[in-house]
Amino acid sequence: MLAALLLVLPALSACQPRRPEGILIVATKSRIDSVDPAAASRVGIMQVLSALGDPLYAIAPDGRLEPRLATALPRLSADGLHARIPLRQQVLFHDGTPFDAEAMVFSLKRFMAIGTLGFQLSDRVRTVRATGPHEIELELKQPFSPLPRLLSAIFLTPISPTAYRSHKGSFLADRFVGTGPYRLSFFSPQQQRLSPWQRYWGSRPRNGGLSLVTLSNSTALFGALRSGEVDLLLSSGLDIDHQRALHREAQAGRLHEAIGPALEIGFLSLLSDQPPLNSLILRQAIAHSLDRRTLSNRASLGIKPPLRQLVPPSLPGSDADAWPAYDPARARQLFRQAGYCSGKRFSLPLTFRSDIPTDRLFALTWQAQLQRDLRDCISLEPTGMESTTAYDQLGKGALVMFFYDWSADYPDAENFLVPLLGCEQPRGNHCLKGNSALSGSFWSAPGLDQQLQQSSQLAGAPRLALLHAIQQRAAAAGPYLPVWLTAPVAWARPQLSTPRFDGSGRVLLGELQRRETPSGRTQP
Amino acid sequence: MSRRSELLRYLGARLALAPLMLWLIASLVFLLLRVAPGDPIDALLGPKAPAAARAALRHQLGLDQPLFSQYGHFLGQLLHGDLGLSQNSQEPVLGIIRASLPASLELGVVALVLAAVIGLAVGFSGIARPEGKVDLAGRLFGIGTYALPPFWAAMVVQLVFAVWLGWLPVGGRFPPTLLPPEGSGFYLFDSLRAGNGQQFWGALRHLVLPAATLGVLLSGIFTNALRLNLRRALGSDYVEAARSRGLSERRVVLRHALPNALLPVLTITGITVASLIGGALLIEVTYSWPGIAYRLQEAIAQRDYPLVQGIVVVVAALVVMITVAVDLLVALLDPRIRF
Repeated sequence: MLAALLLVLPALSACQPRRPEGILIVATKSRIDSVDPAAASRVGIMQVLSALGDPLYAIAPDGRLEPRLATALPRLSADGLHARIPLRQQVLFHDGTPFDAEAMVFSLKRFMAIGTLGFQLSDRVRTVRATGPHEIELELKQPFSPLPRLLSAIFLTPISPTAYRSHKGSFLADRFVGTGPYRLSFFSPQQQRLSPWQRYWGSRPRNGGLSLVTLSNSTALFGALRSGEVDLLLSSGLDIDHQRALHREAQAGRLHEAIGPALEIGFLSLLSDQPPLNSLILRQAIAHSLDRRTLSNRASLGIKPPLRQLVPPSLPGSDADAWPAYDPARARQLFRQAGYCSGKRFSLPLTFRSDIPTDRLFALTWQAQLQRDLRDCISLEPTGMESTTAYDQLGKGALVMFFYDWSADYPDAENFLVPLLGCEQPRGNHCLKGNSALSGSFWSAPGLDQQLQQSSQLAGAPRLALLHAIQQRAAAAGPYLPVWLTAPVAWARPQLSTPRFDGSGRVLLGELQRRETPSGRTQP
Repeated sequence: MSRRSELLRYLGARLALAPLMLWLIASLVFLLLRVAPGDPIDALLGPKAPAAARAALRHQLGLDQPLFSQYGHFLGQLLHGDLGLSQNSQEPVLGIIRASLPASLELGVVALVLAAVIGLAVGFSGIARPEGKVDLAGRLFGIGTYALPPFWAAMVVQLVFAVWLGWLPVGGRFPPTLLPPEGSGFYLFDSLRAGNGQQFWGALRHLVLPAATLGVLLSGIFTNALRLNLRRALGSDYVEAARSRGLSERRVVLRHALPNALLPVLTITGITVASLIGGALLIEVTYSWPGIAYRLQEAIAQRDYPLVQGIVVVVAALVVMITVAVDLLVALLDPRIRF
């Protein structure tokens, strides 16, 4: 019977359906439950929305901010509280209705009212109104210099008021009517079909459409690209050893590889307002004991470069060496100062996310590294915990030290520092309520929150100086220890053009195309 | 009391108990989800959203209501056949289940047929010479397939047939280059009805690996059950009586022993069907098969309370229905059964 099955299988393999001309298949692990920008909160949907919609501003691959549906940068009033944005004309939504100021106002108001990430806008913007047929005005709650970068977030893409009339106050999961280069022609959570929008105002896609598919595990994703079932694979959710294998294939010229801007940081959060880590000396000792290079090489196979700052290096305001470097001698000295090493070992609990394979590798590698370097001073006790449970425990102050990651909703230093260091209710060096508490460190410092607020009101060199100063303060206190940086990667079959990422970390899907063979025919 | 009345009384009692059982299950799931650690807001917004945004979303989802009020709301909806909206997508839970359940049923039915055919054939093959080589091989097959970890076995099959040999797709339910057929959600049936060969072959190619893996893994249950029951039946008095009447061994086995040995197998089939609806999780996850178990796993990870509750209630209702149906079928086939 098995022999019969083995005979049938190759026969079935011959019955592969023919690929429609020009359609590219893109695979990712991210399941898309809804294409409503108001419901968007995960990385996968942002990639889809970037093909279906246009933001007001976009961050180019070289990091420059460029207008998309806006025609120029916001014009600020003297007090910095009113921002006028001129909009592009002769842009059509996928339902044929025109894009104008009213449509943009409708979209932004809807997002502020029901958006899952609505706080990103409503925390900063008081009202939005149309000041002309193609101009809008945002009234800000306080001056906010990263406004254009915030408006580059793809979840703020405009949607057609006509199509969403009956979904003004509720999500529309399976349809999308925006202005982007592709329109959504089929939707299911596992597969989305995107067709080029014929009346697109900008450069038309270079391919005949996209089929985005979700595969649930790393082996399936890896296998699908290797076997040629998919044309492009996105790294999100791919195990580190599969990433390395694909990297080697790319180095051997069998695949194209593109690396996007690294906008995700992996870091340790230290519970700094309770024993034992309320001791600054211990936090500093731990900071010096972290051999990032070894951890990066062993746990991430060198794919995630070491990081000693909270702001990714590609963003203005980063400070490359803000956190202490690995120095086991200095770490031993500090542990001794804290009363350890002389026959007494400091037992340090570390919680990691058990559903993220790399986190487990990190915890085990660091445990071994500490055993190698500081066996007599410290022993690490790693415990795995499922992500959602751990996030819940984190804000309750239940985890002494937790390893996780953070990627900002829009690429700006503010979106890395405020979510980690912001505090609504500081008391001395403790944060009683606010972002720092939710992030598990419960650390603050006198005047720090004011500095953070000020940093989002300044621009240019003064802002950069302040961002450096904030990072230096955090580094000296050590409530967080940056570990490594993660960049998005995409691999394409050799028949495809080499993919490119934009400055927000998303593949420019419209640029992908099958390369022509010398005979002038596109490769199958 | 006549047998027919007994049967009807049994059926009535089981059906009357079903709502009580469903209420108990629904209440238990409701309570366990709230007691379990983890917050849906964390799953939706991540750990670092501002407190005000978290509070606003909590209010929007009704999670700021007292537990008793949430429970009342849930039961009220359930009584009206409404399972609420998914917290994640704000889509009706019933719609999500309607989209996922046919995938699981299609996979389950094909796998079950394969399991029964393979398992019964292997189980029956050794009967001519008990303890012979064929019987031993069948025994090993039964134990081996039963003991194989499904996740590992599925990964190996996927690697060999999809990645290395490239004969079949690595995962998914339908070729990404085609649009799925419209209709009942059973792709094989829908594509056949539409007369679309490309869609049919596409759906079949995606079904082969998960169904064959699941079928082979389940076949051991059938092999062992048939072997044991057939051997017991062959040693029983009525088989000895049949032999002493001079009937051929073939007739003794096929007409007397086999039908009796198959009755317990029918019960096992019922239990397997019931467990397959929600239990093929590892196969669905490995092959990215968009079934109800895969959906449930994701909903649990996202703490999507209404979706988890809805799936559990629907699966429980199906399990109740299937077990009642199997009990009735066994009773109809076996006149010795009393209630």
